[in-house]
Amino acid sequence: MGAVCGAPAVDAMEAADPGAVSGMPFRSALLDNIMLLSDSYKTSHWRQYPPNTTEVYSYFESRGGKFDEICFFGLQYFMKRYLQGQVVTAEKINAAERIVNAHMGLGEMKHFNREGWEYILQKHGGKLPIVIKAVPEGMVVPVKNVLMTVVNTDPKCFWLTNYLETLLVQVWYPMTVATQSRAQKKVIMDAMMKTGTDLKAMPNKLPAPAKLITVGFQLNDFGCRGVSSMETACIGGAAHLVNFCGSDTMPGLCMAVDYYNLPLASVQGTSVPAAEHSTITSWTKAGEKDAFKNMLTQYPEGIVAVVSDSYDIYNACDQLWGNELKDLIASRAPPTGRLVVRPDSGDPKTIVVDVLERLAKHFPVTTNAAGYKVLPPYLRVIQGDGISYESLQEILSNMAAKHWAAENVLFGSGGALLQKMDRDTQKCAFKCCEAVVDGKPRPVFKDPITDQGKKSKQGRLKLVRREGKITTLTDGQGDEKEDLLVEVFRNGQITKTWTFADVRAQSEVGLPVAIFDVTSD
Amino acid sequence: MCLRDFAFWLLRDWTMVCQMGKVERREASARPQLGPSESEPCAMELDGILVSLNQLCENGVVEVSRLQQVLVKIGMQPGDVDMVLNSMQQGGRIKMAEFAAWISGRPRSTVPWTDNIILATDSYKFSHWKQYPPGTEYVYSYFESRGCDRDGWNDVVFFGLQYFLKRYLAGQVISQEKIDEAVTMCSEHFVGNGLFYKEGFQYILDKHGGRLPISIKALPEGTVVPTKTALFTMVNTDPKCFWLTNFLETLLVQVWYPMTVCTNSRYQKLAIHEALRETGHSDWAIGGTAFKLHDFGFRGVSSVESAALGGAAHLVNFLGTDTVAALLCTKRYYHAKKAAGFSIPASEHSTITSWGVQKEVDAMRNMLLQYPAGLVACVSDSFDVFKACREYWGDSLKDMIKGRISGDSWGRLVVRPDSGDPSETCVQILQILCEQFKEDVTLTSTGHRLLPQYLRVIQGDGVDYASIPKIFNALKSAGFAAENMVFGSGGALLQKLNRDTFKCAFKCSEITIAGKAREVFKDPVTDKGKASKKGRLTVQKADETIGREEDRYQPRQGESGVPGGHGFLHYSADGQYVTVASGKGDLAKDLLVEVFRDGALLKDWTLDEIRQKADIPNGPFSQA
Repeated sequence: MGAVCGAPAVDAMEAADPGAVSGMPFRSALLDNIMLLSDSYKTSHWRQYPPNTTEVYSYFESRGGKFDEICFFGLQYFMKRYLQGQVVTAEKINAAERIVNAHMGLGEMKHFNREGWEYILQKHGGKLPIVIKAVPEGMVVPVKNVLMTVVNTDPKCFWLTNYLETLLVQVWYPMTVATQSRAQKKVIMDAMMKTGTDLKAMPNKLPAPAKLITVGFQLNDFGCRGVSSMETACIGGAAHLVNFCGSDTMPGLCMAVDYYNLPLASVQGTSVPAAEHSTITSWTKAGEKDAFKNMLTQYPEGIVAVVSDSYDIYNACDQLWGNELKDLIASRAPPTGRLVVRPDSGDPKTIVVDVLERLAKHFPVTTNAAGYKVLPPYLRVIQGDGISYESLQEILSNMAAKHWAAENVLFGSGGALLQKMDRDTQKCAFKCCEAVVDGKPRPVFKDPITDQGKKSKQGRLKLVRREGKITTLTDGQGDEKEDLLVEVFRNGQITKTWTFADVRAQSEVGLPVAIFDVTSD
Repeated sequence: MCLRDFAFWLLRDWTMVCQMGKVERREASARPQLGPSESEPCAMELDGILVSLNQLCENGVVEVSRLQQVLVKIGMQPGDVDMVLNSMQQGGRIKMAEFAAWISGRPRSTVPWTDNIILATDSYKFSHWKQYPPGTEYVYSYFESRGCDRDGWNDVVFFGLQYFLKRYLAGQVISQEKIDEAVTMCSEHFVGNGLFYKEGFQYILDKHGGRLPISIKALPEGTVVPTKTALFTMVNTDPKCFWLTNFLETLLVQVWYPMTVCTNSRYQKLAIHEALRETGHSDWAIGGTAFKLHDFGFRGVSSVESAALGGAAHLVNFLGTDTVAALLCTKRYYHAKKAAGFSIPASEHSTITSWGVQKEVDAMRNMLLQYPAGLVACVSDSFDVFKACREYWGDSLKDMIKGRISGDSWGRLVVRPDSGDPSETCVQILQILCEQFKEDVTLTSTGHRLLPQYLRVIQGDGVDYASIPKIFNALKSAGFAAENMVFGSGGALLQKLNRDTFKCAFKCSEITIAGKAREVFKDPVTDKGKASKKGRLTVQKADETIGREEDRYQPRQGESGVPGGHGFLHYSADGQYVTVASGKGDLAKDLLVEVFRDGALLKDWTLDEIRQKADIPNGPFSQA
């Protein structure tokens, strides 16, 4: 900390916080307290279940929404980050008690369940007596099916199941990002195949897996600055990487490496050097050509992307790229030498075709077998402004209408990819569906007359495949063996770890082609 | 040494640390993946163990039974071993690389990347140092809201920068380990060598002790200003670090989030205040708006960190929250005393529905009995909210509710519908409750009906900036006072916002090359809303600024107009503020305050100060 502002006074709660005493008062692990990672009202719920409740069994589902099927992803992060191992300590109990009792009510009574947490500390060594079962990560499941179930394993800890709801429901986010990004992958693949890119016939062998390279970089993650925090960037960025390789969100990459054992070697080439407005406009308007030229000479090999709309994108295409710098571009060495021109304003629907048409006036365009125009291999366009699931389809169909192949354009997406979604996008909810009271299991559900869509399932749930379709069995029906839900967490330990390769393989089921099935022979 | 302890450690219990063949117990409260104190325990020793285990392998693969024997022999419980190995084995064999990766978690790195400022960025930023003009010494950039499309939303509340400064930027934030880790990551991430500017970070470490040579000026947090006003500016203080200013853009642009949450929440506070006033409310202290919009957003945001930050932004305007993480954030980063927000015991569907359909009334009675005094909220729509209001709350439990205020005891039941059209449902429920409790219903000064003190309604479903006025209008036309209601908002409060809500952008406006400053701007013909300001900026009160009409900023006129437009006085739409560009402002009148320089935080705003600055006219934090 600076000389001017000292560290804040360290009180008892902070003294119990390792970050506070290690001389890094602001980089503390204070949020690493599972007792505080919940809604306030949850701290009062232990008094509210029926007398003699011994088990609460709850489930998580998508009740419908924008997409008919979801790609389940992200639970492993939350378990590794917040749930596994000893998460309850005496210090943490004290810290949580201080906060909760100061925060809840008017002081008429103590709401913090000290006894309950101390029991977990003493009886279970501070590990959570909970079982979580979930769909394998990456699996694509139709909406309105069970995706995860949670139940306590110690009858005294019946109140714990739903205490964890707040945190576990945040899985809505990586799941929704992965789902939408996967839907965009489908759109891109379809457009490419329709406009003459024969994905199915492409080899996918090392060292140049053609399918991976062709599709994997078509939608790049530009979302880091547009999300609500760095942790969100980690989670959302990793969720996009389930479907694609291209990402500028470094924290997302780190998360996939750390929490899903994505081998570092396989993140090779996931981003390329690229200009931003400041590195172009700092050369001034008169110096825009020099700025462009500098990009080509600083990065003489490989791919380089240059934002070209600082003043006039049309002039940039016609005069600068298409005329004055044309030879420098054309001489970039194949196969990877490539300039990617980036417009960054205007109506995305029309600007992409406008830019393609301008460039076509100056560079040799070929026609592929399906009759669509393709820029020379050393030139591409990237649209990174206003890209969403919806606009992507409009742009691609506009291009097809003007006989431009989809492979001419790459996309970058920020806010729409990682931020412009919410828990309602796929109507994610976590509901109790069975409780054991007086030793007897009873189905539990809600069914408000004011909204039929909110009716919840009842009894023990299983996710099974029946006649090729994935469906949910309620009320304890079905056989354990056919249950697609896998136990991933039990009593503080993660019992099943998915690798990023597992997740990607699962997510590609049902796509026109797989791009991550890279072989080495 | 206890073998069982060793086994625990192998199973990533992380409370034990193995040192040179013996195990010592250590109090370690850090979690495995994040946080500062989680240096990887004894990576060397682990490596040693893995080397031994590797000797069991053929072609990197080991039989499950063989590995099982060895692990049990070195002290693991057979049950634990089975559980672990079964989850990893394929056809009775285990890939040692997978096992090693699993058991060591983070085999390569020694610094948690979430604390590595070098990695908290967009990848392309790593390539930018090569892209500025030769001789560049200073890059000066600024952050602003380019406006909002919602009708009448002309102001923003500046809030949240201090969190980012304290959490990520203050002090020594660059170390050799962090540089090395970033080198590893980047060498794989980019094709080709030399894209990661190791020398640049090494220079900051060697020359500045790892502290960032940057100066940041910002409006005091909590300031309410019109959009299109500069909110903070940044410039490097060491000419060798010209590339650093915009390297930090990715992180600092995330200020859009707390700022947008805070502004969105404040506009709702204005709407609530207005509705209260119109229906005869007159208590503007703690009984005014302070508890009228409760944060339900924890589960609906995209991460715990977002919950902490967004929840704190809401607490600038209100006192009610269920997002506990926000209390920690305001306490740690904004000097909040005790709890910055409050909550009450409340049921959720599971605690009601688990009693069974027939026993809903017993579940409700239990709520009143468990919490005999104070406020208690109860979700009432599990099956039939109208029946619950009429028959349960309004009849069988009526006397218990009425009895909550008697003698010294003060208490209140808050009924929560949670489905249906919010306006219709609230009106219907108030009608039923006012009928059932009619003997205690009063009229406000404007003649609107008000439930007795012991009874209120909270609407926590479908609440946002648009629905709040709608619900209030429906209530008003039906003759009910706004004071009957409290709102809870989750997704709309903390998640359904984005950087475009207030069009937040960070742009370079001046660059110094070989001692000479030049103005920098963008002004795309394809979107005139994206034109940026030029040169050094100050933010001033318009009435303290002498300006000539011809110096007033005029945007580019058409495609053939002069890019960048004319003039340097950017007046706000209401004429109250002016951002003076081109370095022509008066530093003595500048509202921007230096908050950060060379790794040190220069200003430390408290939540109390921020609340007062951001309060609405006659709001709860402005009362004596």
